Amino acid sequence: MARSFQNYLGDLRESRVWQSIFRSGSGPSNLHRSQAIQQNLYLHLFSVKSRRSSLAIGVTWYLGTLSMVTFLILVATGIPLMLYYHPSVPQAYADMKDLQFAVSAGLFLRNLHRWSAHAMVLLVFAHMFRVFYRGAYRPPREFNWVIGVMLLLVTLFLSYTGYLLPWDQLAFWAITVGSNIMSAVPLLGPKIRFLTLGGNTVNANALLRFYVLHCVILPLAGGMLVGIHFWRIRKDGGLYSGKSGDESQPQVSQPHE
Amino acid sequence: MGLAVERVREMGRKLAALYRFLFGDSVRAFGSLSLILLVLLAVVPAKDYFREWIRIQSQYLKLIRNRGDAATLQRRFQGGLQQVWLPRLGVVDRCTTCHVALREASMADVSLQPFRPHPVIPHSLDQFGCVFCHRGQGAATTVEEAHSSTKAWEQPLLPARYLESSCGQCHQDAPPGTPQLNRGRKLLASYGCVNCHTLLTSSGLSPGGARMKATDDPPELTHIAQKTTREWIFAWLKNPQAYAGSATMPNFELSDADARDISAFLIDQSTPLGPAVEAKPPSSPPGADDPQAGATLYGESFCASCHAAQNAAGILTGGDVGPELTRVGSKVRPEWLLAWLRDPHQLDPNTAMPHYRFNDKQLGLLASFLESKTDSDFTANVHLEAATKEQIEHGRTLVNERGCASCHQINGIKRPDNFAPELTAVGSRPLAKIVFAPGVPYDLSSYLEAKIREPHSFGTAMKMPKFTLATSQVEALVTALLAQTDRGATVPADLRVAGHPESDYQPAGSAGKLMDDLRCFSCHSINGRGGDMAPDLTSEGSSVQRSWLLDFLKNPNTLRPALIRRMPRFNLTDAEAAALTDYIMTVYQTPAFDSASLPASSFTAEDREHGRQLFYSKYACQSCHIVDPNNDKGYIGPTLTVVGVRRTAAWIFHYLKDPQALRPATLEPNQHISGEDARALTAFLMAQTKAPPQQGGKK
Repeated sequence: MARSFQNYLGDLRESRVWQSIFRSGSGPSNLHRSQAIQQNLYLHLFSVKSRRSSLAIGVTWYLGTLSMVTFLILVATGIPLMLYYHPSVPQAYADMKDLQFAVSAGLFLRNLHRWSAHAMVLLVFAHMFRVFYRGAYRPPREFNWVIGVMLLLVTLFLSYTGYLLPWDQLAFWAITVGSNIMSAVPLLGPKIRFLTLGGNTVNANALLRFYVLHCVILPLAGGMLVGIHFWRIRKDGGLYSGKSGDESQPQVSQPHE
Repeated sequence: MGLAVERVREMGRKLAALYRFLFGDSVRAFGSLSLILLVLLAVVPAKDYFREWIRIQSQYLKLIRNRGDAATLQRRFQGGLQQVWLPRLGVVDRCTTCHVALREASMADVSLQPFRPHPVIPHSLDQFGCVFCHRGQGAATTVEEAHSSTKAWEQPLLPARYLESSCGQCHQDAPPGTPQLNRGRKLLASYGCVNCHTLLTSSGLSPGGARMKATDDPPELTHIAQKTTREWIFAWLKNPQAYAGSATMPNFELSDADARDISAFLIDQSTPLGPAVEAKPPSSPPGADDPQAGATLYGESFCASCHAAQNAAGILTGGDVGPELTRVGSKVRPEWLLAWLRDPHQLDPNTAMPHYRFNDKQLGLLASFLESKTDSDFTANVHLEAATKEQIEHGRTLVNERGCASCHQINGIKRPDNFAPELTAVGSRPLAKIVFAPGVPYDLSSYLEAKIREPHSFGTAMKMPKFTLATSQVEALVTALLAQTDRGATVPADLRVAGHPESDYQPAGSAGKLMDDLRCFSCHSINGRGGDMAPDLTSEGSSVQRSWLLDFLKNPNTLRPALIRRMPRFNLTDAEAAALTDYIMTVYQTPAFDSASLPASSFTAEDREHGRQLFYSKYACQSCHIVDPNNDKGYIGPTLTVVGVRRTAAWIFHYLKDPQALRPATLEPNQHISGEDARALTAFLMAQTKAPPQQGGKK
């Protein structure tokens, strides 16, 4: 049985369709393996080689990966939610009620989105603590640390902008308080607040702005930064394993590149 | 101890074994996690399937399966989520998802909710939806969320006893179906609530929203020292209901010191009115020693039409237009009372009290009768020393703080604007903005109830005084307040039913002056202005004969003996009565018909006989009316023995054809009498001109 499955798989790999997609072909050599990674848009973000030791749970607790997974869940649930939501003052809260009471599994979608958002904020923080206390931010990874800080900001802004969208009392007052904090910035404060809200009070303009930020601008920015983040892991010598040799001999460039 | 540790270790070992079994290697971990995920994902469609309304709909189908009308009901049943969607009103009500039989009149025998049909109402269910009247959360599809107050929806279902308030969101008129709402609105005016609180007659700030006007007529206090004593004021302030149980003045729950200082200030600010009160009382007239003469005059003048008084048994009888007179002798000074009875308008130009033309003898009789109505207990324990300057000043401060001038006119105190919170949108006030007293249920109607009943339970600093109200009055007031909603303010103009605006009609000339002097409008309504105690006189000239009216004004006899409130005798001179009669006969004519048509000469004896038969057989009028006092027993309608003297033939004819066209509120049924029959009946009734012999035959 197992053999026949291997045979099928072998036949598939020989097929023209397969070879048109995976042009490097398959083989047992390191060259084949590294080419398989390099010639795939998604996989080539990763290191060509990863140490088995760095994949153990205890090394990273998979915090970065889990942050990415929650982000994907948020995208996957956020898009269906957009189908039911109007960013307008009279309709927004009623749409929440529709999701809760009339849309099939609407409450599940919304709750999954909400809890994943909370989880993502927590995971991103935990990820940063882990990186910080293990010293993984040190050269050559200092730029990726900066990217990571920007991703934290994007995460927090996503969380903040999403908070207004239900348009209930909690949302309204949270954003009122938050935007008043913005206006405490020296000199530019009131301008920043005006720009963020599209006015002087939390109203229809603020709702529309927060919606566009939440659904378009911030996810795109986050996606691009995540791309750079992953690519830099590879460029900076793969996952930080914490071994002394890793630190003393930073791999600045890859032999394959 | 050691055993316990051993046990914990054993448990730890077992857990470790379980963990190894589930997640021991990558294949097991992958398998276990996939299984857990699968189970979790299965929960989602399961929860969707086991929703409450699906269960309720299948329960309904089970309920109707064995009914005789099952086929019809099943055909009309629509499964799945149902909703009433009215974009114009912002209504999305899914109540019909569970309340599936609202439109099924044949389900009237079912008492099990949510399957009862809706009671018959003047509106269709698709016109307003459900939440517009019942409140609650229309979008919800679970029982708890739809009916109760939850974190995400404060507004629970409105208790059934306040349901009429919802009609008041659109209806500014007084529809006959909402007695509690109408009563509440009247109470808001008659208890002077609107003197302190702003309330608009049309909810919200919509066009036509005028301020509700008070009808309690609180007395001016600018000359109070001439009317009563400081001791009485003190006792009254402490507890107005101890003086008169029916008093609308609320209890401010003042301390003795505060009542002392306010009474001192009120006496101090009072100015003399002039010679009217200082005039010497007439010397005791002959006949004043007859103790019954005063009481008889009180009865003959029908003072009780407006004023109530407790009788010997302690039962309050009489009207509520004027103040209660049970203990009036303990209140007013004799010289003031005499001046008041002689001409009330000199003392208070705005009073509803008519100017009776009493002669000096009558004045003395009535005054001494009223002065005898005392209660020595009322001011017995009040001993006030002369007021000091500080007390008077403190009294002034208190009068300002308590807002006395919102209702009463007081020298040197300006009437405060918006003394109390505005109540225009109180019916949709968010609960989060309300401070609840301990023990008050968390919903708006309970809050309003508690606030009206016991204002001071919300804090001793509350300025609102305590009103003495029956439970039914409190509920009526809450109903009227709950009608003041935001929704009422945003409802489209074509759905709004405006109230009848108060007319400022004023009759012209000397007759107009006379009608003002007699305060006809306190009881009668003409052209949309006036009270509702006595008949509307807008077309009186068309309905009665001149000779009868002249006679009636000079000596009003009883039209309906069963009534306590009757037309009083004003002691008019012949000239006054004639002028008033001429004015009424000329001006108050209906445009609907010519009152001179159908002259008595046009009726034949045959007509009269035919009319008699119709009266007794076809229409059985004797069920309610009396024409022959020896045989007829009807007493619901007025006695018709002398109707031929009183009414015009044209009026009777048109009234018989359509009673409600001439008197909208009359009980007389519209029997769709043909013109021929009506004419015969009119002929018969116009022949009823002889008063029965046992009543003396006045005319």
